[in-house]
Amino acid sequence: MKSRVRKIGIVAGWLAAWQALSLLMHNSIVLVGPAETVAALCALLPEGVFWSSLGTSFLQIVCGFLLGSFSGIALAFLAFRKRLFGEVMAPFVTALKTVPVASFIILALIWFGSSGLALFTSFIVVFPMLYLNTLEGLGSLDPKLMEMAQVYHIPAGSRLRCIYFPGIASYLRGSFELALGMSWKSGVAAEVIGQHLGTIGNGLYRAKINLDTAQLLAWTLVIILISYCFEKVFLALFDRLLPYRTGNS
Amino acid sequence: MTIEIENVSKSYDGKPVLRNFSLDISSENSYILTGPSGAGKTTLLRILLGLEQPDEGRVRLLGDYKYSRVNAGVVFQEDRLCEDFSAVDNVAMVSRRLSKRTAREELEKLLPPDCLDQPVRELSGGMRRRVCIARALSIPSDVLVMDEPFTGLDADTRLQAIRVIREAQGTTPLVLTAHSLEGLSFGKEIPVPMLDT
Repeated sequence: MKSRVRKIGIVAGWLAAWQALSLLMHNSIVLVGPAETVAALCALLPEGVFWSSLGTSFLQIVCGFLLGSFSGIALAFLAFRKRLFGEVMAPFVTALKTVPVASFIILALIWFGSSGLALFTSFIVVFPMLYLNTLEGLGSLDPKLMEMAQVYHIPAGSRLRCIYFPGIASYLRGSFELALGMSWKSGVAAEVIGQHLGTIGNGLYRAKINLDTAQLLAWTLVIILISYCFEKVFLALFDRLLPYRTGNS
Repeated sequence: MTIEIENVSKSYDGKPVLRNFSLDISSENSYILTGPSGAGKTTLLRILLGLEQPDEGRVRLLGDYKYSRVNAGVVFQEDRLCEDFSAVDNVAMVSRRLSKRTAREELEKLLPPDCLDQPVRELSGGMRRRVCIARALSIPSDVLVMDEPFTGLDADTRLQAIRVIREAQGTTPLVLTAHSLEGLSFGKEIPVPMLDT
């Protein structure tokens, strides 16, 4: 209870500082306060385009995140089982990790146009994170437990459920925490660059060209809220599905 | 079936652990490997299971045996349990044909029923050891291989475990290592000598 009050106090303090700074500047193009931001958000809420933009971006970014996660995990398992495949994948994954996201966004714009750009970008950002962390987790599995599974000819499903997933759960959780935030940041950045109509990124871009800082911050607030909620729901589901503490390793 | 261990030698980093060791393992027999720590008992069991290759000699699976590696119910020197899962899960996972109900029945021969659904990390050392024994006995196997299966068991539970092993064994050969021969008079004692380096 005490810590909750303290947290609320800290947030309220920061909001007050933000409001004070905006009053001090007294320039709604440079900075608007939280009250004007919330007012701009309230003005957006009744608009149909706001909700359709939200839906489009959410769908694309979440699909990109899920596809990137699933393929990253699946291919890491394959690379763990087949050494040659892992060696073939290594330069590709390193390239994905090191090439700037902006380069991928522009390349994707040239190849596919702006539709599906957020999905592609989210995928490209999430895939190497999940791939590399899953591979690291698999590499840290207890060899004695693996040997036991081999001796007993434990079926693949039971191996996954009882040995592999508990062993890599902490690695997966850590990379999901990072990937969830990154998928939203990169996905929205791709929408801003790609100028795809009816998306959150397009909303941000329109606010920018109209020099409407209140609306820009309102969209930013929306991104933070939606990303935060999705992260909480996803990680709660993850903890429910993989509630392991010791990790077998 | 018969398993023939023929003149097996093994060394690690130039240090010999086994030299020209031979043993015929046949149905309906039990073999108690004895010897000081470091004599190579565990290495011998690992070679028998096909987990390590001998430097010299060989292990032959005689009779009408279609697999390259022996199908064994094993108690390893370490527990090798899935820590987050219950005793029932740990036993049931070893075979698709093994239901949780059967796994529970096997476990109840060795453990009190109220601890079977707890994660094994919460069990005592002796209880965990008994889960390992139940796991080894719960599937049909061609040989039972047990490396120090009674570690952490008191005298009564040790005798109870031996009784359960004997009941489950049937005609399956049993190879086990033990520091004490108490309660193991049914088996042939096979000394594994400590080699001079």
